[in-house]
Amino acid sequence: MISVKNLGFVYKDSKVAALDDINIEIADGDFVGITGASGAGKTTFTFALNGIIPQKIKGDFYGAVTIDGVDTAEHPAEEFARKVGEVFQDIDSQMVASVVEDEILFGLENFGVPHEEVGVRIDRVLRELGIEDLRDREIEGLSGGQKQKVAIASMLALEPEVIVLDEPTGELDPESSREIFKILTALNKEKGITVIIVEQKIMLLCEYVKHMMVLDKGKIAFYGTPRDMAASIDTFKDLGINVPRVTELSADLIREKIYDGEVTLTVDDAEKMVRRILK
Amino acid sequence: MNLLNYVPGDSFLHRLNPVTKLAAAFMYGIAAILCENVFAEALFIVVMILISATAGLFKRAVLLTGNLMILGLIMFVIQLLFVRDGSPLLVIGGVVLFTTGGLKSALLLSLRVIAAMLPLMLLFAITRMNDLCNALVKRLHLPYRYAFIVTTAFRFVPIFATEFHDIQDAQKARGVDFDTRNIFRKLGLIAPLCVPLLVSSLKKVDVSAMSAEMRGFELRGYKSGYKEYPFAARDMVTVLVLVVLIVATVVLKTIPK
Repeated sequence: MISVKNLGFVYKDSKVAALDDINIEIADGDFVGITGASGAGKTTFTFALNGIIPQKIKGDFYGAVTIDGVDTAEHPAEEFARKVGEVFQDIDSQMVASVVEDEILFGLENFGVPHEEVGVRIDRVLRELGIEDLRDREIEGLSGGQKQKVAIASMLALEPEVIVLDEPTGELDPESSREIFKILTALNKEKGITVIIVEQKIMLLCEYVKHMMVLDKGKIAFYGTPRDMAASIDTFKDLGINVPRVTELSADLIREKIYDGEVTLTVDDAEKMVRRILK
Repeated sequence: MNLLNYVPGDSFLHRLNPVTKLAAAFMYGIAAILCENVFAEALFIVVMILISATAGLFKRAVLLTGNLMILGLIMFVIQLLFVRDGSPLLVIGGVVLFTTGGLKSALLLSLRVIAAMLPLMLLFAITRMNDLCNALVKRLHLPYRYAFIVTTAFRFVPIFATEFHDIQDAQKARGVDFDTRNIFRKLGLIAPLCVPLLVSSLKKVDVSAMSAEMRGFELRGYKSGYKEYPFAARDMVTVLVLVVLIVATVVLKTIPK
């Protein structure tokens, strides 16, 4: 479990707080989507989840972040990195090797995973992400979606309990974006890995995540399940975030007492809702 | 065609240990530098091209030799104009332009540059940079930090090139005319791009360092590498042949004519 208490952070040479009094608990096995305008503190928040902040990036740090009860400020960040793996936003720069297999090997070698286990793990993560055929390919020549999968695979090989991803679908087409979410959902469901993802595509978040967190100017503006969004549509509008139309529609219909079911999050659900109303 | 990228293969040369390949390339170069005979120097180049052919790299070797000739030509002209040994060969208006000694030394030096550099350039075609660095760490216990610096530098070249093109495209979209034929004007237009390129590069390097650190870079030792790079009989043979080559070159030099 990751517990964040009164977390605040001000980057060195900056006067504005990037994070301001954040309080949240993320349970094991959760799937949390984080959204918000640029500059809202999303990336900073992800950095605080495994000790990159305050250990690798300097600034004024307030409050405390604990992972399974261990304070992230008190042990080397590398120790937490194995538990909480992070895929950074800049996909090209975070690669450390030129060939896919070497990229996955890097962390395994560094953390001293027994050599007889290394091969097994590489085979497994490649299979789990469906990229067995990319094993010997040069990373430079891969598509954006393939690179994301390689980055996730190299994290997964370290068998983390939590995976943090910063806008992994930022440069992907809708099809590949959905594919990344499907992979993450499978990891979340089948292996119980906690997933924390920063994402701008709100439709995808609504469809896949268990909890949503909206950041605004370093503060939590909303936290709840995607269905809870319906009750806060005005908050979202103020923040300039578009709640999916199907959600807004179902909320309106419920308010007007035309529909008495649950708030809808996907087009399929909305179709069912309309059919039920028309009956 | 990039003349320095890796060409996959399964030849004798490919299968050598990366450390052997590096040592062999250097030893061949040393032999070429020790050699003082113009014809033998030319032979060094021809033999190198033939050796490359066994790894399917004949064309690459010829192209590389062609490129190195430019460097050789520069050396040739400089030597020709500055070495004043021997008797005058070309005299114009009472000024000795060049001498027999100058011509001989120019020819030798330019061939020597090509012969010494060719094997090192060909090394890239038969060795993955990653393998070379891993093997150096594993077998020679070179600090991983240095190996990482070298591989990363190579890896970042295409990334920076893409970045540079992006910046250039952004400028083109704003009406900057990079298509000018005037080389000085072109340089003047490209020079200011260095600032955004440097800034974005530094950002990338930061992310890269953080990513490596978070994946345990600091914990790594020479034993960490997963891939083994054992030495085989062919490595011994290769090194032996090159030792003989160097000894032979030195011995032949000392024999009076």
